[in-house]
Amino acid sequence: MKNCRIGVYICMCGTNIAKIVDVEAVAKFASEIPNVVLARSYKYMCSNPGQEMISQDIKENKLNRVVVAACSPNMHERTFRNALRSAGLNQYLLEMANIREQCSWVHTDTIEATEKAKALVYAAICRVELHEELENMSVNMCPNSLVIGGGIAGMTAALELADAGNTVYLVEKNNHLGGNLARVDLTAPYLYSARDLLTEKITRTYNNKKIHIHLESKVKDLTGFIGNFKATINSLNGIPSEKNKSIEVEIGNVVVCTGYKEFDASRIVHYGYGKLPNVITSFELEKMIRAGRIETKDGKIPRYVAIIHCVGSRSQEFHSYCSRVCCMTALKYAHEIKSANPDSYISDIYIDMHAFGKGHEDFYRRSSEAKTLFLMYEKGDRPVIHKATPKDDCEMLIEVNEKLSGEVIEIPADLVILMVGMEAREDSREVARIVNISQDKEGWFIESHPKLEPVATTTDGIFIAGTCVAPKDIPDTVAQARAAAARILARIAKERIEVDALYSEVNEKLCSGCRLCNQLCPYSAIEFLEDKKQSHIISALCKGCGVCVAACPSSAIKGRHFTDQQILAQVDGLFGIG
Amino acid sequence: MPVRVNPMFIDDLYHFGAEDVQLCYQCGDCSTVCSHADDVYKFPRKSMRLLQMGLEQKLETTLEPWLCYYCGQCSEQCPREADPGETMMSLRRWLISRYDFTGIARQFFKSRITEIFAITIIALLTGTFLLFYGFSGGNIHIYDGDGAFLPSPFIHKFDLSVGAILAVFLVINAIHMWYLVMVKGTLFAIPWWLYIKELYQLPWHFLTQKRYSECERKREHTFYMPWMIHLGLMLGYVTMLILVMVYIEELQAGPEIHWQVHIFGYLATIGLIIGTIYFIRSRFKKHYIQYKKSHGTDWVFVVLLFIIVITGISQHVFHRTGLLEAANITYVVHLMSVVPWLLRMPFSKWSHLIYRPLAMYLAAIRRDALVRQVSILNSYPVVIK
Repeated sequence: MKNCRIGVYICMCGTNIAKIVDVEAVAKFASEIPNVVLARSYKYMCSNPGQEMISQDIKENKLNRVVVAACSPNMHERTFRNALRSAGLNQYLLEMANIREQCSWVHTDTIEATEKAKALVYAAICRVELHEELENMSVNMCPNSLVIGGGIAGMTAALELADAGNTVYLVEKNNHLGGNLARVDLTAPYLYSARDLLTEKITRTYNNKKIHIHLESKVKDLTGFIGNFKATINSLNGIPSEKNKSIEVEIGNVVVCTGYKEFDASRIVHYGYGKLPNVITSFELEKMIRAGRIETKDGKIPRYVAIIHCVGSRSQEFHSYCSRVCCMTALKYAHEIKSANPDSYISDIYIDMHAFGKGHEDFYRRSSEAKTLFLMYEKGDRPVIHKATPKDDCEMLIEVNEKLSGEVIEIPADLVILMVGMEAREDSREVARIVNISQDKEGWFIESHPKLEPVATTTDGIFIAGTCVAPKDIPDTVAQARAAAARILARIAKERIEVDALYSEVNEKLCSGCRLCNQLCPYSAIEFLEDKKQSHIISALCKGCGVCVAACPSSAIKGRHFTDQQILAQVDGLFGIG
Repeated sequence: MPVRVNPMFIDDLYHFGAEDVQLCYQCGDCSTVCSHADDVYKFPRKSMRLLQMGLEQKLETTLEPWLCYYCGQCSEQCPREADPGETMMSLRRWLISRYDFTGIARQFFKSRITEIFAITIIALLTGTFLLFYGFSGGNIHIYDGDGAFLPSPFIHKFDLSVGAILAVFLVINAIHMWYLVMVKGTLFAIPWWLYIKELYQLPWHFLTQKRYSECERKREHTFYMPWMIHLGLMLGYVTMLILVMVYIEELQAGPEIHWQVHIFGYLATIGLIIGTIYFIRSRFKKHYIQYKKSHGTDWVFVVLLFIIVITGISQHVFHRTGLLEAANITYVVHLMSVVPWLLRMPFSKWSHLIYRPLAMYLAAIRRDALVRQVSILNSYPVVIK
């Protein structure tokens, strides 16, 4: 390519790269390639002096292409694009060669690694010559939001958004707000009443004029793209009433907080749930506590109460994950039962005591002080519940191979509480399909990045919060709901949103209208123009994944920034051709 | 067969001093820091666990509590303040009550009032009997020889009969202990010759308390102090007991006492007085962790012993200075505290004088037998079908 003036920057990344790759040799090699004006190495290219060096070179040496050989573009492409922009150069005229994750970190031979780094740099140079100037798109941001799920997460997000003056459509499947938290009496570890927590939220939600509550409803369809979604809300019972009819709303963002359902304890035969009358689940106990009397099926006050942890959780057979809230909830039960019946004896049968949160360790200690008997069983070696004989002074006997003493013991019990874990709801698959997000193997919704993007999803404008993402407690759920709301509010405040220029385009002259691409697109970004009999890509929806580009039999689709020519040049460069 | 958990047991042990055992979460720090815990005798951790779960049948057959001398390092180390040292002490109290077939020990440990009441009754009965005897045949102005208020041949017989009662209780309880540990609680064969092989352990541990000195090795600042004082107190006590039981007539024979008896008497007195003062002071000052908590019976133990020592010395001083009336009266008071003290022995902490060396002896036999059993098992090839 003529008139190309390329600057090549080799980063040492401290010693991360320089330890294995001879960066000076790579720089020298690059400087000898045609069109390369200069090649430099530097300790930390991403640092401020590093970035300034690049923008200064662009200005002084009239560079019009830049190659940075450093880490993964996931890490710093944005940084270097900014450096180009600040020097007045289009940000898409940058190419990164990943010589850290794909070279220095995975190789031990210095000579070979240096050769590989040279090949990667050469490939990047070949590619960058064909880069084009692209401009980001800007689209309108509709200030309305849709919140799916009316539990603590949904209400928190809705209130946060509505309090800032935005319209919120809150869709709840049940005939009341509150979700799973409405089934709970007190909360661990501070023993706040769940009812108090909820009543305030529910009242505020009902009183907020900006929140449109749709009870006994579900979202049937969601089309459009970030800032410009259209959602269809249907009444669940199929009878559209005055208050509750099928409507279509315009929204800019969606928060999904559909929550969890509890594990079905009858799946574990050892525990005899459903057969033994006094084996109950944690939610059944909550019901008793809220009714004000903890009793056996015969109406007696239980003298011996046993609590079994990890029912459905942390097992290869059912769910391998930890449900996170059950340990503290179990301690809460110990506390509540002991306060209700001071003469009762509580055995807490657990695998590990997970007391990781604020105040949890103290709560555990207090439970020990109250003489809760903690008994440990081996993961995979579940306790077995038998019916006691009339000779015994209890209803049931629980046989456990107690891990800490190494003894096989039997624990007397009149009432057994199974701490059922959390699992994804049956309808989560349907929700995921409608809002176009992914699920993991357990059915939980997948976040965009497990650590850095905990509430965003791979679909722009769709956020997830609370226990539909993974089991979590109330503080974490509320934090996520507020985080999702904050992300949305930041976007609403901008009024318009920039969308990456990496999208595909259909060349109308070449498209035969075969519609092959329409079904393949994972983002539903391709529409078929009936009048022209041609496919058209909605640029704001397109993620530039390239599926349609590869599939098009007429080569009518061009992936911007990933053109055939650019990729072939890169491949040729990698093999030293060209 | 699974062992039945007894959640109520922990409440029972509370009266024996195990107040914090429920806090233990089985980290095992206590066993790590302990000089005596090993692969065969896993304490205090395992004992704490059995106690928490209330596995009474397992606990009554263990020797572990006796292998602990309560140096207190486990309690210092415990991250949960579950006080393993005091728990072992409480288990020893419980075991004493468990070995005791009469049930008296249990009452004493559970109620301080019962114990003090019993002591007072015995003391008053003794006093009444002695005064009655003294005034009916003797002269309050004569201390020894003819016409003495309490003549030494009479006191000798009196001592021996109290000693016999004491011995009967102790022997029966020791046999009960042996039965629980070696018969009920041992699932492997114990060859008879091991009882002979390890016999030396009995006098060795009785006279040296060597394992107690090992407890102190990790502490640099105390110079084996608690061990030396404890040993001194015990040796002083035993010497005095022998002198009183065997040489009482010589002790009271007037100025012509054999010098050997004299020397032993003084040495024993020194051991006793230093020991009692040290332990009373420690229980008040609580400067070592093992003295932080004192059970009611601990106070009765040291205070009663102190009274015995003081009256014993005063009686001697009054006798030598010619205040014979005072000497006779002090003698009565002395015996009023000695008799309940001796009769209380099988039902109190004091009985560890017998149980502890016996436990060392039985523990050594069990360990040998276990090693033998394992080597026998290992010598057979394992066939997996």
